[in-house]
Amino acid sequence: MKRTVSLFLAIVLLASLACACQGPASDPGVQPTDGVPSGTGAGEAQPTPPEQAEPLEYVDLYKTYFTSEYPSLNYYTTVYGGVRGLAANCVEALVEPDEYGLYQPAMALSWESNEDCTVWTFHLREGVEWVDHQGNPTGMKVTAQDYVDAVRYVGDPLNGAYSLRVVRDLIEGLYDYYWGLDDIDSGTDTTTVRADLVASFDETVGVKALDEYTVQYTLSASAPYFLSLIEGSMLLLPCEYSYVTEMGEDFGIDNQHMLYCGAYYLSTFERDKKIVMTANPHYWDKDSVTIRSIEQQRLGDTMTTLEMFKRGEIDECVVESEEYSSLLGTEWEKYLAPNSFSSSTNYLWLDFGSDNPEFNAFIHNENFRKALQHSIDRESIAYLREPVTPSRLVRNTIIAETLIYDDRGVDYTDYPGLAEIKATDYYDAGKARAYMEAAVAELCDASGSILGVDAATVDMLPVAQFDVDGKLPVTLLYVGTDDEAEILMAQLLEVMIEEAIGADLIDVQLAFATGGFYSTVADPLNYDVYYDSLSVPYGDPGSQLSRLTSDGAENVGYYEVPEYDALIEQALMESDIQKRYALFAQAEAYLVNGAYVIPFISSLRGYYMTRIEPYTGPLMQFGSIKYKGMRVSAQILTADQLAAISSAYEEKKADRLSGN
Amino acid sequence: MLRYILNRTLRSILTVVIVFVTVFMLLRFMPLNGYFTDEMLKVSDEQTRMAYLRNQGLLDPPFSQLWRFVKNLFAGDLGRSLTVYPKVPITILLCEKIPVTAAFGAASLVLGMTLGLLMGMFMARYKERLGDTLGTFYVVFVRAVPSLIYLFFIQVWVSGVLKLPLVFYEDRPESWILPTICLSLGSIAWYAIWLRRFMVDEENRDYVKFAMVKGLSKKYVLRRHLFKNAIIPIAIYLPSDILFIISGSLIIESLYAIPGTGGLLTKAIQKQDNNLVQVIVLMYAILSVLGVFLGDLLVAFVDPRIRLTEDEG
Amino acid sequence: MKSETVKNMDVLLRPEKFRAAVFDRTASEEGGFSNYSYWRSTIRTFFRSKFVVFIVALIGMLILMAFLYPALSKTDPGAISTNPMTWNKRPNADHWFGTDSIGRDIWARAWYGTRNSFLLAFFIACSDVGVGTVVGALWGYNKKMDPVMIEIYNVMTNIPSTVYLVLLAYIMNTSFLTLFIAMASRGWIVEARFFRNRILSIRDSEYNVASKCLGTPMRRIVSRNIIPHIVSLIIMETALVIPYSISSEVFLSFIGIGMPVDAVTLGNIVNQGRSSFALHPYQMLLPTAILCVITIAFYVIGNKFADASDPRNHV
Repeated sequence: MKRTVSLFLAIVLLASLACACQGPASDPGVQPTDGVPSGTGAGEAQPTPPEQAEPLEYVDLYKTYFTSEYPSLNYYTTVYGGVRGLAANCVEALVEPDEYGLYQPAMALSWESNEDCTVWTFHLREGVEWVDHQGNPTGMKVTAQDYVDAVRYVGDPLNGAYSLRVVRDLIEGLYDYYWGLDDIDSGTDTTTVRADLVASFDETVGVKALDEYTVQYTLSASAPYFLSLIEGSMLLLPCEYSYVTEMGEDFGIDNQHMLYCGAYYLSTFERDKKIVMTANPHYWDKDSVTIRSIEQQRLGDTMTTLEMFKRGEIDECVVESEEYSSLLGTEWEKYLAPNSFSSSTNYLWLDFGSDNPEFNAFIHNENFRKALQHSIDRESIAYLREPVTPSRLVRNTIIAETLIYDDRGVDYTDYPGLAEIKATDYYDAGKARAYMEAAVAELCDASGSILGVDAATVDMLPVAQFDVDGKLPVTLLYVGTDDEAEILMAQLLEVMIEEAIGADLIDVQLAFATGGFYSTVADPLNYDVYYDSLSVPYGDPGSQLSRLTSDGAENVGYYEVPEYDALIEQALMESDIQKRYALFAQAEAYLVNGAYVIPFISSLRGYYMTRIEPYTGPLMQFGSIKYKGMRVSAQILTADQLAAISSAYEEKKADRLSGN
Repeated sequence: MLRYILNRTLRSILTVVIVFVTVFMLLRFMPLNGYFTDEMLKVSDEQTRMAYLRNQGLLDPPFSQLWRFVKNLFAGDLGRSLTVYPKVPITILLCEKIPVTAAFGAASLVLGMTLGLLMGMFMARYKERLGDTLGTFYVVFVRAVPSLIYLFFIQVWVSGVLKLPLVFYEDRPESWILPTICLSLGSIAWYAIWLRRFMVDEENRDYVKFAMVKGLSKKYVLRRHLFKNAIIPIAIYLPSDILFIISGSLIIESLYAIPGTGGLLTKAIQKQDNNLVQVIVLMYAILSVLGVFLGDLLVAFVDPRIRLTEDEG
Repeated sequence: MKSETVKNMDVLLRPEKFRAAVFDRTASEEGGFSNYSYWRSTIRTFFRSKFVVFIVALIGMLILMAFLYPALSKTDPGAISTNPMTWNKRPNADHWFGTDSIGRDIWARAWYGTRNSFLLAFFIACSDVGVGTVVGALWGYNKKMDPVMIEIYNVMTNIPSTVYLVLLAYIMNTSFLTLFIAMASRGWIVEARFFRNRILSIRDSEYNVASKCLGTPMRRIVSRNIIPHIVSLIIMETALVIPYSISSEVFLSFIGIGMPVDAVTLGNIVNQGRSSFALHPYQMLLPTAILCVITIAFYVIGNKFADASDPRNHV
């Protein structure tokens, strides 16, 4: 019965979705409501959503929240995720994904690239104007020059753009331009005049306005993923240079010191309190914008979000695993929907240059690394975040599944090599013990002394200081942050590893760092093992894998795997998608099989409750969100409704991807 | 008197200068990587980071940084925040945040003082009776139980029962109630316990016994004679309390999402926002020294027995 | 009538009834001597209230328990379980106060935490009050030092503690010692100022001035009039600093400069239980209750002792 209901419901939803795509979504029959009257008790506040399959009613106000302050709105210099969300909605990129993640025109009407994907040309929409924080046109037009000037802006070290590396190293000539300017600023180069170098930008750097509405990027390497880089990197958003230079350092300090050309503009910006995005009446595609206004309010403490949601003050909330159990058996249970996907993966990083001589003797041994790999009970760790079906979180690959597809619609993680890794259940105490015994046989003498290792005091201050005796068990220092959940996880890991491998062979010690983790632990190598998460910044396996080479920026443990480096180098040159992905898959499998890094779970967190109908907006997978096209239901969506929508969507998505 | 004020002012300025320079120099000992968040460290390389630091003037010798700050300060420019709110002028930040915190601070000061002093008088009046015990219990409770626990309880449970908003909204006056009460819980206890203590001390004085012997009622003596004398040791803190309404509470502002100054200093220190830290420290040091100074003047003004200068006596 | 009296007096005061007294220096000093002992009276007054007896007994039991439990019990407060079924258990026969989110026994943690926090607080109180008394005494007696010390006091109390705490955390590992230094680094100057003020006021108080005029040697004034007063202040201050240290440890843990996070202290337990407070309130019950008892008990003891040490309250 339930099944048929949900099926029917899904069909109705899809039908309504199709309707909404064709015409203006502002149905005169739907009255905007202010949600639930505030201040009423939780019990009577929520009208129960109808169980029968009625079309959802929509409202045009979306109330959400943010927890940490917006440092600045300058999207070129701020890495904070919230700013990415604002920028994606307020400043129009060249292209945008549709609800299945396929790229469609946004500011660019059309585009083409050359054979090996090194030259990309975009033909822009004409007559789009920048608006100010009240939604009034400024008279300044969005032109090809604005996209060129964005690169000019971020290419100047004085402007302090962050996460610049990918763009700087990809666009032809930008690397030399940037470091040329830096040499002048630092006084290394006293012969060149700064103004001359700045003036040379148009000739030397590979981004050009061919005419008023055509922009061309010339890249230094083959980049079939360039469209997803446009989605994932804020640095390629347009920049009205005359305005930005006039503002100088004030650019982006609040909503009045910015210009907008996206679906929304920032009508209100109360620092640390409230941000309101209002639909831009001059947006080129304003009919697709269904939510008129998005209110984000700051909640200082995540503990209050659930309560705020119950009282109808916000339209969406994350339910942590602890809160989850408290909602079971209440009226809220039916709304609890599992979060379905996170592109971010958690890894154990191993220190290949550890100051701890015992660990250092063992880490270069593959059997030892495999023992570690097999000693981690992934589901037990996942249970901390998802108490119902922890197995959903298990992830053995570096790149997330269902994220990157080739031109046939085949998931990258189903390529040979990775498919097997994906299907393996690594946790196996017997194997872990066996691998460890093999490693011990190779590295220790009969009495249990580790060959070539003497007793010593390991100084990893300010993180830890401990003595090692040069004998079994091998001492391993696991370092975590002082976050409560991570402390629990670390303590769990300790027990787990010692139980699987055996406390006679390994002794896990814990330390917890306060303050900046990277600067106190990762960078100075004050660890043997720690865990971190990385998400994929744009739609190419290389986005992640190229950072993990022997000299890659993410190789914080300094392992050396020339075979891997060679495969990556080869893959990065390859412009044929299938060959490219096959090479990447081979490289990734090599790294995981050798247990140089140990991916174990995804960063997925528990459950959520929402009024947002999923899959109604562009499918943004690389760290930002677009509200254009999204619809907010007047009622909270039940888990059944969400599941029905989701399964219908997955079917459709599979069709679309393979059809392409 | 004038000489005293001049002398005091000079010494106050000296204190402020020492405090400021000490903090300024301490901040320059912080590690360079501390200027970046973990995200920034991950996405940038060493050279890019050094380029950034140099462009921010953070690699200059500390004394030239100090000189630059002082020069700008006298030109009315407090500089821009570095890491907490990159590039945002500190003047704008303070102008946005101080009014909110000050409004709450003033409201809670008035509430805390009124209720606290009433309670203290009540406790002294009914010393060692039920009222006193209950009052003492309140004071001890507020001091003993970790504030996080009862503040969280008040926010979620009390707001539910009284149908008050969970967080603060500028345009909804009822949302001001709970944060103000939470802010004043501590100061009520403080005023009550000290007023009680000073009143009980005064009660043993001869003039009180004399007044009672002459047949004045206890209530009258308490109000007309005792209170005035007992309030003086408390009044000395009044200027400081008034000046420091602009420093907010870290926990309460975070719980109720009040965009005020509470936690700004802590955050700035943890993120190594030198520019912000030094301005806030300078501001607080001036206020604190000024508060003590004004406190002494106030007490000398209201209590003719107290003389500030020794040589006048 | 008058002569009769004189006559009687004559009878009474017959010379043979008198004997010349030998001059006895000790006896001559004993004018108005009673068997009053300051300390005996103080202690008698202190324990006169049944409430105080109860509180002292309670805190005594608590401290005894906090030190005996870790010595006698075999339960490891850090023992975690990999089996999720044993996490967040409600109170039961095995775990009297339940288990936390990773299966650790809350009853055991609370006692270990009490012991550690109490030890820390005790050391801090001793150092604050100890250094404070010595510096305060020097400060009070040496007039030349006064402006310098006041300047030091102003500067130290005006530098936000977070500034140097963060620096300290950067230089040093989070440990018992770091936390001790962090917390003890400023308390002493506050105590020193307090003692300086008290010593000044006692030294110049009228009875001491009078006593001095009567020729009482300074040594005697110090030993009889000043030291007892100071000692009672020391005891009172120590009693008040202990609960303050315990609660500031909670705060330091909150801003991340506390003990190593896997160390069992009341501050860490309260902070780590904070997020699950709404869902598993029983996890906070015992640690909070102990924290309250300690704070309240020491507060009451401190104040009652201050009352009891005031000779005016002695009978």
